[in-house]
Amino acid sequence: MNSAELLFAITQYWLIIGGVVAALFLVVGIDRIDEDARGAYVFRPLLIPGILLIWPIVLWRWWSLESGSYDPESRYKPVRAAHKVIALGMFIAVVGITSIGLSVRQQWPADYVPQKLSEPVEASE
Amino acid sequence: MSVKYIPVQWNNNKYYYDAFMLAGVVGFLWFFLHVSPEVLSHERPINPQVHNARAFGACAFLMLSIILAIGPLARLDRRFMALLYNRRHFGVMTACVAMTHAGYILNWYWAFSSSNKYEALLFSNTSFGQFAGFPFEIFGIVALICLLVLAATSHDFWLRFLGAPLWKRVHYLIYIAYISVVAHVSLGILQDQQNHVFTAIFLVSAIVVAGLHVLAVLHERKAGDPAGAVNTEGWVTVCKPDDIVEARARIAVLPNGDRVAVFRLEGKLSAISNACSHQNGPLGEGKVIRCLVTCPWHGYQYRLTDGQSPAPFTEKIPTYRLAIQDGVIMVDPDANPPGTYVEPVEIPS
Repeated sequence: MNSAELLFAITQYWLIIGGVVAALFLVVGIDRIDEDARGAYVFRPLLIPGILLIWPIVLWRWWSLESGSYDPESRYKPVRAAHKVIALGMFIAVVGITSIGLSVRQQWPADYVPQKLSEPVEASE
Repeated sequence: MSVKYIPVQWNNNKYYYDAFMLAGVVGFLWFFLHVSPEVLSHERPINPQVHNARAFGACAFLMLSIILAIGPLARLDRRFMALLYNRRHFGVMTACVAMTHAGYILNWYWAFSSSNKYEALLFSNTSFGQFAGFPFEIFGIVALICLLVLAATSHDFWLRFLGAPLWKRVHYLIYIAYISVVAHVSLGILQDQQNHVFTAIFLVSAIVVAGLHVLAVLHERKAGDPAGAVNTEGWVTVCKPDDIVEARARIAVLPNGDRVAVFRLEGKLSAISNACSHQNGPLGEGKVIRCLVTCPWHGYQYRLTDGQSPAPFTEKIPTYRLAIQDGVIMVDPDANPPGTYVEPVEIPS
């Protein structure tokens, strides 16, 4: 099994587990932890893609709500401080990446003869 | 605001917003495919599949740029705050456009491989050790996964289930998505451009989006909410009553980092948490409409006296005790539990 096949297999298993979690959560769990969901069924299929993708977080939050370890006061503490780091990081990343992209551009500013950059990779089965 | 969850809480504003957005997407695609080929240097596409892929890819980049510009623009100028409303629909549509782009690419360049096309996408280029010829597709995959997570967790259920702070942290993925898209374009289609119009549009868009975020940070440092001074009893100074405009608030940062919003209404003062229970929007930047504080982001409303939404809604936020000492408003930094009634304090005449 090569790396690509491994990644593809991991993705498949991730989604299969997500499907099981989605079935359990939407049939059993959601009514236990959210009173606004009781008696509301039409919206539930909309949640399936999200559960497929972030099922570990769903399981963790489901458990914390069921066990009482979730602090309801925490929802009133916005995460504002992170924006400064993110803004500066994004600016540096955007400038750096675009500079790299322009610096390795073969056809800029003049039409250079195309160069072979690497050998062909091994053929796949 | 909701009592029971429904698939989409439509209203006229959302219809107009979405109709305008859809018209914009259709207009962009039409312009890209039929008007701009010689301008953007794609007058000789390999085939319609590739031509469509480029159109949807460019559209997704533009949409993502606009989405990311709305936040800092709203911080720099309140008139842009209206665009925050329904931004989640914008994000869902962006994910759909990006997925269409990926579908065209996958079903052309890898559709004829003898291997599974998803695996072929991953192993067709493994030159990870060099910038020129780097497998830029990997950045597109990362961006698409991020966009799908954002779109799939955009329903209000997720906000309530995860809580606004965790939901926000998950949705910080949009920054990863944007940086990945910039890398995807810089090491991808940008390498193949002989016409500099596309290059200029891309670079200006990316730098403007990143620059707006830095400007918003600088603006916040200069004109952000002030930290209140603490007196000997541990209460926090906010301002004088006359500093607050009728039906509006002044915000103060408490020693623990939380923000309190002190509102003035009909000669009385009330203090509530500045964080809306929905998306932690800044309630103190909203105004009082019919005796209810209205969040400037999505219109959630709360009573000033107890921080509760009017029936039948169930949202509630913490309240604070306050007093006027020597003509100055003081707030107890220890928040009351959400929904606790506090008698408004009359302003001495």
